[in-house]
Amino acid sequence: MSGEDRFVLCMLAPAVAILGVLVAYPVGLLVLDSFFKVDTITPHLREWVGLQNYVDALTSKRVAESALRTVQYSVFALFFEFTFGFCAALLFSALAGQSRWHRTIFALPLMVPPIVAGLLWRFLLVGNIGILNYGLVRLGLISDPEAIAWLSSKDIVIYSVSFADIWLTTSFVALVSFAGLTNIPKDLLEAARIDGANALKRFWHVTLPLMRPVIAVVVIVRGVDAAKTFDLIWIQTQGGPSHASEVFSMNIYQRMVRFGDLGEASASGTLFLIVMMLLAAVAYWKIWRPVHA
Amino acid sequence: MRRAPRLNLSGILINAAALVLVLSYALPYIYLLMTSIKPAADVQQIPPSFFPAVVSFENFREVLQSSTLPRAFVNSLTVAVLTTALSLSVAVPAAYVATQYRRRITTIFLLFALVTRMVPSVALGVPLFQLLKSVGLLDTIPGLVLAHTSAAVPLALLLMSAFFEGIPKELEEAARMDGCTRFQAFRKIVLPVMKGGIAVTALFTFITSWNEFLYALLLTSEATKTAPIVIAEYNSVYGLAWGAMTAAAVLYSLPVIIVTLALQKQIVGGLTFGAVKG
Repeated sequence: MSGEDRFVLCMLAPAVAILGVLVAYPVGLLVLDSFFKVDTITPHLREWVGLQNYVDALTSKRVAESALRTVQYSVFALFFEFTFGFCAALLFSALAGQSRWHRTIFALPLMVPPIVAGLLWRFLLVGNIGILNYGLVRLGLISDPEAIAWLSSKDIVIYSVSFADIWLTTSFVALVSFAGLTNIPKDLLEAARIDGANALKRFWHVTLPLMRPVIAVVVIVRGVDAAKTFDLIWIQTQGGPSHASEVFSMNIYQRMVRFGDLGEASASGTLFLIVMMLLAAVAYWKIWRPVHA
Repeated sequence: MRRAPRLNLSGILINAAALVLVLSYALPYIYLLMTSIKPAADVQQIPPSFFPAVVSFENFREVLQSSTLPRAFVNSLTVAVLTTALSLSVAVPAAYVATQYRRRITTIFLLFALVTRMVPSVALGVPLFQLLKSVGLLDTIPGLVLAHTSAAVPLALLLMSAFFEGIPKELEEAARMDGCTRFQAFRKIVLPVMKGGIAVTALFTFITSWNEFLYALLLTSEATKTAPIVIAEYNSVYGLAWGAMTAAAVLYSLPVIIVTLALQKQIVGGLTFGAVKG
C-alpha cells in the first residue's frame, strides 16, 4: 500500500467507524429484528417467524392507511412548497439586487425548530382561539370562526397538518432555486429574447431545462424529508383524531413504543427504507440524468 | 452592477407580490412573539388579538422558574455542542480525502453517506434504542450524543465535501513541495483556508442537534430530556398552557435565529451550496 493510500484510509477510518456503528449496524439490527416476533413489554419473547411480520404489515389495514396518508401528506406539502418557493425565487430574481431584505426575512422559518413550527401552527389552527379562522372571517371568506375545524376534522386533518411543513420549508426551496436561477447565463436568455421568444417561452425553453438538476435536488431532498416527517405532525395532533393524521413513521413509532411490537415495527421500518431508496433512485434517474446524457 | 429601481407597472407589481409573500411568511412567527408577551390570561381570549393590549413578561418568568425547562436547555446545549465536536472531527478529514484523493473506496463512502440521508429516523431509532440499552447508554447524555451523531455525520460530510470541492488540489501540492507531510498540509494549509466552510458546517450540525425531537423522545427520560421534549409537554401534560408554551418556544428558537441572521450570508451560501452540490 502506498503512503497516499494509507493516508486516505487513516483520514477515512473514524468516519467509517462512526457510520458503521451508528448507522450500518443499527440498520442490520432492524432488518434482523424484522424476521422475529418480539414483545418488549411482557412477556419477553423473541422467536423466529420468517417473513410473517412482512405479511402482517403488508396486509394490515392500518399500515396501508398510514402509508397512503404519508403519500397524501408528502405530495400535498411538496406541491405547495415547490410552487410557492419557486415563485418566490422567480420574484427575487426579477428584483435582483433589491431582493436582499426580502430574502433575509423569507429565510426566517428555515431557522425555526420544527417543534416550534408545529406548536405555532397548532395554535394558529386550533378550534375557537385559532387566529387563522378569525382572519378568514375578516376577509369575508367564511362566516363563522368555527366553520373549518382544521385539526379536528378527519377529512382534512392530513392536509391541515402540512401547513406547518409548507411554512417551514418553502424558504429552502426558494433559496436553492434562487441560487440556481442566478447561475443561468444571462446571454442565453438575451439570445432567446433577440430570437423573438416572449417571457413565457424563455421560461419554458431556457430557464426550466437549465433548472432541472436544481429541481431534482429539491424534489428528492424535500420529498424524502416530507415522507419521514414525525415531529411536526406529532406535536399538532399525535396522529389523531382517530388515526386520521397517523403517517407511516408515526405508525411504526406507535407499534414499537405503545405496543412493544418490535418485530413488526422493524419490518415496517425496513419496507419504509427500501421504498425511500427506490423513490430517490427513480427521481434521480428520471429528473437528473437526461441533462447529463 | 446596481440596477436603477424600476418604477414601471411590472416593477411595482413584482415588488408588491414579493412584499405580500414575505409578510405572509413572517406573520406567524411575529404572532408567536406577540403572544409570548401577552399576560397569560389574554393568550386564549376570544376573539384573539394580534397585538398585546398590555406587555407582560409573566409567561417568560413562569417557564424560567419551572424546574424542567432551564435544565432541558442545558441538556440541549450540551448534546448539541458534543454532537457538533464529534461529527466535525470525523467528517472533516473524511470529506477532505473523499474530494481531494478520489478512489473507488471514497466514492462508495460518499454514496453511503448520501443513502444514509434516506433512512427514516424512526427506523433507525428502534435499533438505536436496543443498541444503547445493551451498552448501558440509554437515557444518558453520551447516548443521545451518539444518536444525534448518526444523523449529523452524513450532513457534515455532504456539506464539507461541497466546500472542499471548491479548493484546488495545487494548494496541498504546494505545501508538499515545501516539505510538509500530507497530514501537515491538511492541518496547516488546508484547514485554515476552510475556516468559513467549517464554521457553517458546525452551525448546521449544531442546529440539527438542537432541533432534534424523535431520538430525544425515544432515548431520554426525566433527567436527560432536551428542550423540545419539555416544550412539547406544555401542550399535553399541563393541558393547553399556550402562554408558557409560546414563551418557551421563543426562548428556544430566538438564539438560533439571531445567530443565523448575523451570519446570514455565509449560511445561506453554505446551505444552497451544500444542497445543490450534495
